[in-house]
Amino acid sequence: MRFDRRWAAGLSVLILCLGAKSQNSENQRLVYKKKYIMGTVFEIAAYGESSERVSSAIDVAFQEIVRMDDLMSNYKPESALSQLNRSAHFHAERVPADLYRVIERGVQLSRLSDGKFDITVAPLVNLWKAALAGDSTPSPEQQRQAQACVGYDKIELTPPDQIALQSSCLQLDLGALGKGYAVDRAAEKLHTLGIENAFLNAGGSTIVAIGSPPGQAGWLVRLRDPSHKIDPYVMLENASVSTSEQTTRSLLGHDSPGHIIDPSSGRPVESQFSVSVIAANGSMSDGFSTTLLLLGPQQGKALVNRTRDVSAIWLSPNAQVETATNGPQILFGGRL
Amino acid sequence: MTHLRSRITLIAFVIPIFLLLALSQLASSTVYVHWSDPQLPAASSLGVTNIVFTWKEGISPAAVAARKQGYSVYVETPLLQAKAAADEGVKAGWTGVILDIAELESVESEQRVAELRSSYPKLQFVLLTRGGKPPDMRGSIIVKRNSVLEVSSPTAQPWIDTNLALIKVEQRSRRAQVPLYTFSWEDQGQVRTLSPDDYSLAVAEAGAFHADLILQLDENLQQALNNHDAKAWALWNQVQSMLKFSGSKADALEPAANVAVVVDHLDASDEVLNLLSRHNIPFQVFLAADLNKEKFQGFDVLVMFAKPDKELGEQIKDLATRGKTVVVVDAHGSYPWQNSQPVRENEHTTSYAVGNGKILELSERVTDPEIFAQDVRRLIGKRNSLLSLWNGLTTIAVPYKDHSGTLRLVEFVNYALEPVRMQVQVKGSFQSVRYESPERPCCESLAAVKHDGFTEFVIPELRIAGRIHLEP
Repeated sequence: MRFDRRWAAGLSVLILCLGAKSQNSENQRLVYKKKYIMGTVFEIAAYGESSERVSSAIDVAFQEIVRMDDLMSNYKPESALSQLNRSAHFHAERVPADLYRVIERGVQLSRLSDGKFDITVAPLVNLWKAALAGDSTPSPEQQRQAQACVGYDKIELTPPDQIALQSSCLQLDLGALGKGYAVDRAAEKLHTLGIENAFLNAGGSTIVAIGSPPGQAGWLVRLRDPSHKIDPYVMLENASVSTSEQTTRSLLGHDSPGHIIDPSSGRPVESQFSVSVIAANGSMSDGFSTTLLLLGPQQGKALVNRTRDVSAIWLSPNAQVETATNGPQILFGGRL
Repeated sequence: MTHLRSRITLIAFVIPIFLLLALSQLASSTVYVHWSDPQLPAASSLGVTNIVFTWKEGISPAAVAARKQGYSVYVETPLLQAKAAADEGVKAGWTGVILDIAELESVESEQRVAELRSSYPKLQFVLLTRGGKPPDMRGSIIVKRNSVLEVSSPTAQPWIDTNLALIKVEQRSRRAQVPLYTFSWEDQGQVRTLSPDDYSLAVAEAGAFHADLILQLDENLQQALNNHDAKAWALWNQVQSMLKFSGSKADALEPAANVAVVVDHLDASDEVLNLLSRHNIPFQVFLAADLNKEKFQGFDVLVMFAKPDKELGEQIKDLATRGKTVVVVDAHGSYPWQNSQPVRENEHTTSYAVGNGKILELSERVTDPEIFAQDVRRLIGKRNSLLSLWNGLTTIAVPYKDHSGTLRLVEFVNYALEPVRMQVQVKGSFQSVRYESPERPCCESLAAVKHDGFTEFVIPELRIAGRIHLEP
């Protein structure tokens, strides 16, 4: 019954920076740290001349992610998002600037996808979360009721920082945007503190690259390939990659719903694709990867083609490949 | 199978003398410190009593010094050199010999150990497994020298490197003693810079799993401790508080489990066992030869990795008839339960309703242990779940029961090494829920809510280790 570990390697987007050697790299120290935040492991690897200085900068970046978690968590009842979900119905609430910004981006993405991605999907997510944990599947009536509470057009944004929810059961979910935004903020902190070459990883699903490894053109990022046959990769520099995939189905035949919910059907999306998106920043790639999984390749390609600096790849376990490139090139055959 | 059974029979013949002794030690956890520097601080300063030296021909001066400084001295040696070490040990007044035996369930080894125990009654002989790994909450980035290897995926739960699966296997393999394990801190060729939390986590694991550990101390740390280096002592003082916490147990308890995993051979590196551990599924490992209805009465789910022969097949059917859920992995062939109406669950799985229970045949090996572990959790069901955690993604929790089968203790290890507030639900109705940790000495009463045969409470702060005492 010894297990073949290939499955683990197969889950991967892979970045490899081999032997960063150049005339500038000799005095560059690499510092790596990790921290458990937002229910996952955030990691930062950064180069700099002083290990102490890099280490301190990473600590500041982590603190920024913790701050973002305190704003955007829907698990923490005291978070700014939870307060907004509780109290902003039918009247405007003032929210922290970061929360306003990320919600604004969520609404933009909801519009771009004609509601296929919807930042107000929380009632459906909560409904299906219980089923994912082993409870019975929600009844059609429960699904219908939750679906009636979803609609990004009922969010009223008043710049610079006021939000009103124009429905009694409207609730926001930042699950598809929060980590990406938090990594962007952390990257900004690093940059401000003089770090020019670093990458930041939010639990595997979003990676933000600052600069490149010393002496190299970019970070070689291997993209998730459920077929283990295509082997796609990108060279990432001052950009981000995110990957989305529906939860794997049960081996023993339980009715195991996935965690990504399609607002238009009210049910977990059924897709075998793994979608990786390369974009200019983490919030963009994070939001787009979920959106493109929901849209599927046909509609997803159309969205990518009208969006600057975004590339995407859909890969299935049976090696079906669909790509849309309006930004960084996706390369193939990058076995190392 | 026959060969295996005969080996087990032989082992069963050798071990009963020690079994009663071991049962009284079930709740104990001892940390031995492996020492290599020629000098060492006094036992009272180091805060440990058991010190281990690697056996080399002749008596090491450090071992002699250790004896004078109040330590219980052990030497670690391969079985082949055990007799020579034992001869020296008797002369030098050592406490015991730790036997580095690679092969699990080796009958020959067990017999030789029995002979040694008989020949040297004043010396302890303890079997060691080196199959441990440094406990860790892993990210996906691997840093090697000046390069970075990054692996990512759809949002991944933290990957925990835990020794719990090893302990579970050792508990079956060497039932006559508390499992004793060790590991090298070297990780994929890289030596880590060890922090107090690294050592503390290692000690916390052994304590929580009620296992014994030989803690490998970095040579530089040993030297610095000998040189009275203030930083080194500050580090070690932090570890000492964990040593005190992990070593302070009183009641004899056994691990509680409601999932039985039945295998043909014991393999501590098995990923399925690792993932069951990782998902806090209380399981116990058995060999196929152990299967009988009395032994499995207390389990709700049986996972059969062992290939069922006719006799095993009948036993499996009997267990299912009594209400158990049985998963037969990589099942091919004719079995006695197949005269029930089959239900095709998916392309890999067929289920059979048998009596009050059911049998699921998975037609292939487990291709995704993560998903399989989640499946097993669902099979247990909420009604039978011994333990559930919320906000516990970086925590391993191990429940323990008394001889009547009542849960009495839950040990927690948090691999994130940062305080978490965690909601816990345990099966059973408890009047008193008390919490202790290295930071919060015994014991703080926690508010508990009882409902539907379960008790819920919140652990206010778990940093590395914590312990809940339950009173019915």
